[in-house]
Amino acid sequence: MIVPYALEISVVCVGIFLLMVDAFLKTDKTTIAWTGVVVLLAIFGMTFFLSPMPVGAIPSSFYVLDPAALFFKRFLLLATVLTLILSIDYSPVYLKFVPSAAPQAGLGEFFTLPIFACAGMMWMVSANDFIMIFVALELVTISFYVLVASMRKNQGSLEAGVKYLILGALSTGFLVYGITWIYGITGFTALDGISSVLPRVPEQYQPSVLFGLGLVLVALGFKVAAVPFQFWVPDVYQGAPTPVTAYLSVASKAAGFVVLLRVLDPFLSVAAFQGKVFGILTILAAVTLILGNLAAMSQQNLKRLLAYSSIAHAGYLLVAVASLSAPGAKVAIGFYLGGYLVMTFLAFLVLLNVAKVSGGDDIRDFNGLGKRSPVLALGLLIAMLSLAGLPFTIGFLGKFFIFEAALASGQYVLVVLGAITVACGFYYYLKVVMAMYWQPAAPSATNIQVSPFGHFLIGLLVLAIILFGIFPQPLLGALTHL
Amino acid sequence: MEVALFWIFAALMLGFGAAVIFLKSPVSSALSLVVSFLGLAALFLLLDAFFIGIIQVLVYAGAVMVLFLFIIMLLDLKTERARKLNIPALIGGLMVVVGFIALLVKLLPDFHIAKPALARPVNDVASVGMLLFSDYNLPFQIIGVLLLVATVGVVLLSRKELK
Repeated sequence: MIVPYALEISVVCVGIFLLMVDAFLKTDKTTIAWTGVVVLLAIFGMTFFLSPMPVGAIPSSFYVLDPAALFFKRFLLLATVLTLILSIDYSPVYLKFVPSAAPQAGLGEFFTLPIFACAGMMWMVSANDFIMIFVALELVTISFYVLVASMRKNQGSLEAGVKYLILGALSTGFLVYGITWIYGITGFTALDGISSVLPRVPEQYQPSVLFGLGLVLVALGFKVAAVPFQFWVPDVYQGAPTPVTAYLSVASKAAGFVVLLRVLDPFLSVAAFQGKVFGILTILAAVTLILGNLAAMSQQNLKRLLAYSSIAHAGYLLVAVASLSAPGAKVAIGFYLGGYLVMTFLAFLVLLNVAKVSGGDDIRDFNGLGKRSPVLALGLLIAMLSLAGLPFTIGFLGKFFIFEAALASGQYVLVVLGAITVACGFYYYLKVVMAMYWQPAAPSATNIQVSPFGHFLIGLLVLAIILFGIFPQPLLGALTHL
Repeated sequence: MEVALFWIFAALMLGFGAAVIFLKSPVSSALSLVVSFLGLAALFLLLDAFFIGIIQVLVYAGAVMVLFLFIIMLLDLKTERARKLNIPALIGGLMVVVGFIALLVKLLPDFHIAKPALARPVNDVASVGMLLFSDYNLPFQIIGVLLLVATVGVVLLSRKELK
């Protein structure tokens, strides 16, 4: 039997080991990333020898291993593996923008920092105490600050790094301040303790608790890219190295949602807070849906479009959070995030390969991709259709489960709004598809060669999107106890 | 006496905190930050949090700020030029600040501190150490990883030419 902490400890050890390899051995740096991929996959396999444990069975009050934690640990490990593979593909571009005295300098750090971020996020999804949440969150954000700004000779990357750092520090401030209010009233930082005290909080102190929770929601809203805390998203997503953008939009968002669910849990089980908290969440979900989708419609740059689409998807997920009173809502969130992982990484994989050759990630760089590189075009087509939510894709089922939960909990306004914004989504996702198949390619555009492994990966992700879109039971089975 | 001291140090902290933002020369900003930190340390002492108060002086007012000053002098930063006021941003910012203060004013009279989770005050190095290495061991270890990441990041971001 494996000790529950063993997962994170092994991930950290892998990171340290690879840093050492980077420092002392003169190997080709991509070996570091491949080693990381293999070992993380082994750790992914290790998770299947662990089973969820009751709270008392783990000797630390900070750490829980419930079904949700275990599912999202697997999710994060897979996301990190995909990020590393994307990073290997991206390394020629990365090296162009790094000041280096030796060939491949800086690449080792670029490959190891995601591994540490992965450990941080795995701690985040198991965190059962505000102190643990805060510490793990900081580990993740600091890794991301560095990763986002790491292409130092690229202005976009630097700009993204500065914006992310300043706004991230601000949101951290909100988080800590909110925690102190909750701690002040309840006397606990542990979520179990808070939930035991909350029903007994006298009425006159309830606004103070809500104020604290509101501040925490601001910080978590920043993490999951919810409107009105989304200002950083477009610039940071566009400026950051592409694999980091994908990682940020999938893993960081998922970990943020898990923490959000955990923090909300004690508050939603007390009748006095329930109504108000659901009210706040409904408003957040509505504005996020509207703004994310509307702003995406006018984008001409695919990376920026995906940034706004990431805000829009946070909106759909918030619809599920606002419908948590329905029994299926948590499963819907897990399923949606699972689908979001596959389709986002597929989109970024194609984007990265096209941008590497054409040198830009505007939508017009994708003109005529259907003829220039049919495999890439097909991959992006499937990713876009699934992101838009066409039936028989995983994206459709994700939205379906979320709207089902929303209907069950009586959030009719959000369902109508969601249906309208899905239609907007079709417009801007299909704009990309149109460019690929109906626009003529620029005369200078060349065909794009993809490695056999690239073909394999695209095939795998496409297969996952369609397979789980028609036959979702295996994924749902993994989520049943959420 | 305690209340009077609280107001003096709070005013000192806030005043110099504002000076950090409004002064144009980086050196004066950094020195104001030192004074602001000292005011904060005094507030901690007034709350009987001696350990944090002293650490605040030693680490922040001492080590960190000396580093800041060194860097400012080494980089030979020029005085900041006056920036044009961005009126919509100013109005937006003011609205957030005013709303925040209004909420605080409304909530604070009702604020009531619960019995803290820690049974006894933790004021000396020994008991802080005991807590960190026993109950709070896991977050403490994570901070270790965080520091490692920060170190790697600093090297990656600041080294003139990576090797």
